[in-house]
Amino acid sequence: MNRLGVLANKYATAASVSLRNRLAYFGNFLGSLFTYALFIFVFSRIWGAVFSAAPGRATIAGYDRAMCIWYFIVAEVPMFGFGHFFYSLAQDMKSGQVAYLLGRPYSFVGYHFSEGMGSAVLESLILLAEGCLLGLLFVGSLPVVSALQAAAVVVSLLLAGSLQFLLQFALAMTAFWFEENTAFFWIFQKLALVVGTLIPIEFLPAAAQRLAWLTPFPLLSYAPARIAIAFDHQSARLLIIQAAWLVGAAALCRLLFGVGRRMISSQGG
Amino acid sequence: MVEQPTRGAGLRSGLRFLAASFSVNLQAVIEYRGNFLVQVFGMMLNNGAFALFWAALISKTGSIGGYGFRDIMLIWALVSSSFGLAHVIAGNVRSLGLIIQRGELDVYLLQPRDVLINVLCSRTIVSAWGDFAYGFLVLALLPGFSLGQLALFLMLLVSGAVIFASTFAAAESLSFFMGSSTGISNAIAEFLISFSLYPETVFDRGMRWVFYTLLPSGFIAFVPLAALKSLNWGLVPLLLGAALLYGAGAYALFRAGLRRYESGNQMGTRI
Repeated sequence: MNRLGVLANKYATAASVSLRNRLAYFGNFLGSLFTYALFIFVFSRIWGAVFSAAPGRATIAGYDRAMCIWYFIVAEVPMFGFGHFFYSLAQDMKSGQVAYLLGRPYSFVGYHFSEGMGSAVLESLILLAEGCLLGLLFVGSLPVVSALQAAAVVVSLLLAGSLQFLLQFALAMTAFWFEENTAFFWIFQKLALVVGTLIPIEFLPAAAQRLAWLTPFPLLSYAPARIAIAFDHQSARLLIIQAAWLVGAAALCRLLFGVGRRMISSQGG
Repeated sequence: MVEQPTRGAGLRSGLRFLAASFSVNLQAVIEYRGNFLVQVFGMMLNNGAFALFWAALISKTGSIGGYGFRDIMLIWALVSSSFGLAHVIAGNVRSLGLIIQRGELDVYLLQPRDVLINVLCSRTIVSAWGDFAYGFLVLALLPGFSLGQLALFLMLLVSGAVIFASTFAAAESLSFFMGSSTGISNAIAEFLISFSLYPETVFDRGMRWVFYTLLPSGFIAFVPLAALKSLNWGLVPLLLGAALLYGAGAYALFRAGLRRYESGNQMGTRI
């Protein structure tokens, strides 16, 4: 087997172990499925109330009732499926586990990426399937009308998930400098929720929208949700911006890890 | 002959015990000041993010189900502070099921205090201090909130906190009967919090009876909101009565379950 094959095999194994581990304790995931369904129910009622209060108003900021509910269904998938890498990563940094893992024959970032994404991808797909069923129940027909659009949604979700991982990894690495860094994640998480998850970016004031596009937050939930409800020329642009931010976030992680690892001191065996 | 304490003396002794538990819990959490402040302000920030969401949404849509931004913020103030108060005073309320399951009640059974009150109040939740404070921050930022409304708000917090704690404690007490009630108690908690934080009117009429029975969002959020908006003190006895009823129900369920409790023969100490 060539070197690339060995390398790929190593990370595929990490992803597969994480996946099997998640499947062995699948009951723990039921809580996420339940909460996701509850939020969809509540927000479907909220959007229902918003549009029934003004029967003459077909759209708000370019979105009708069905689009708003489908938007929420897709936008919440990355938050539920890929939103919780930080805690285990930060724990590895704080507990000193990072020093133990550094001696192993793999990339620290690559190993964690494979391990985290292994189970998160499966969970996100299950959440998406659940969301589609609930959407059919509360709204009616699916907004995705072609195989190409469906593929674009899945690619965008994967890019969003990978970006979530890298940004959370960068935040977790602040533990090299700060003893307690959970508050940074809370701020990140809430910004991600307000900027494009609970409501589309178009609902924000114009100045906030301009500011939002200078950050990666619209790419974490807005991008896949927007592609799911409106597949147009903007969809390709969103995918390209997501990929560009992903490269930038990967470079940031490498840089932070390169600087941060110099601060690790390992003693004893 | 041993003299039995009068009812008044028993109440005073119970309140002294609560105050002592609170004081010990507070000292324990502020020992780590940095962590305490991070969690408190982090939770306030967490809640504040939803204010931004509501502000953005309502600016585009107008009122939702008859609720304007001020109404939503009052609901958040009521729910956040009463939820916070319940967990500041009775921090073990969401861990009760696990304590029962692990046979960790033994250590409380041996102490000369009411078991339920003792176990619930032996811990405080740090982030709940942020929830508690958030309600007051919201009120401070809302224009035209009077001192009379603040006094009423404080009263409503008491009934809300008792109802929150009682509902959670009752759900957790199901562990006596089911072995593990984690699933059902988590579901009740999620539903209760979620339904309490959104306008009552967005939900179908057919399901609103649930908010005044199984998931008492009505007594935690919707009736208190009506009282606060119209400064209607007349609703306070109703809410205190509801709090008493839910409290008595939770207590009775816990006592009934306690008769089925089997000791884990666990050696433990409370320091």
